[in-house]
Amino acid sequence: MDDDPSAEETAFVVDEVSSIVKESLEAVIGRHPYEHKRVTQWVSSVEEQCLGQLSKLNKPFKYIVTCIIMQKNGAGLQSASSCFWDNTTDGSCTVRWENKHLYCIVSVFGLAI
Amino acid sequence: MTDLAKEKAARLLKKRGSLSSLGSHEVRAKEAFARTKDSISTVSYMEEPGHHDDIPRPAVQMENTYQLSPAQRFPVLTVKDILKDVLTSYLQEEKYEPELCRQMTKTISEVVKARVKDLMIPRYKIIVIISIGQIRDQNMRMGSRCLWDETHDNFSSHTFKNSSLFATATVYGVYFE
Repeated sequence: MDDDPSAEETAFVVDEVSSIVKESLEAVIGRHPYEHKRVTQWVSSVEEQCLGQLSKLNKPFKYIVTCIIMQKNGAGLQSASSCFWDNTTDGSCTVRWENKHLYCIVSVFGLAI
Repeated sequence: MTDLAKEKAARLLKKRGSLSSLGSHEVRAKEAFARTKDSISTVSYMEEPGHHDDIPRPAVQMENTYQLSPAQRFPVLTVKDILKDVLTSYLQEEKYEPELCRQMTKTISEVVKARVKDLMIPRYKIIVIISIGQIRDQNMRMGSRCLWDETHDNFSSHTFKNSSLFATATVYGVYFE
């Protein structure tokens, strides 16, 4: 029942998740140029921050966060996902983010428990 | 009383709305653009999760199973073999072309999902992610992190590479209680 006000509290809200992702991307990477040494750390801290914020939402979900950071040099990258789950409760959200020097794709999948 | 009536009307309206979208079963990505000073971001997601049940099915009342753990665990190695097989057979001879690879990611993710579904692992939700990229001396880093129950949930991943492209496929199996 989507009319139920409590449904909002236990649903996967894309706007909420995408703003969490964007915030952590801005915070971790921001305007930094691509640096090989720091990318490993960026990937983990983006994921960590997202998961931290997501868990603070206190919703009955298991989360999967994936992050891809790629240097911009004209090379292409395609990504797709496909899921077998309960459409009514589970949700996904993908954010493609870029600054002058790099591309970043973060996907969040929320699976209701 | 009026609240009840209103709720009913809203539900009816919703039903009609979902009926009119019959036939558009496929997942559409809605995109929202946001632009700040130094970075651009786009968001894509499934169109309104929760409104996909075009055919309302009567809820089946099941008896409790009292089963607390999966009868069969997520078969990591079998899934890895599937990934290896699918990636190799689809991409062995291919050169990187954006349009082809765009189609390829979609096809492969569907094929892998179908193959894993055929394993009939009860109570597991399956998520397949595949990325195909061009090899052009660029640097990139891919990673994932999960908040889940590590005793039951697992994943399997495989990377394929030829002279002009690389592909990474990951399958997550998440136990649904």
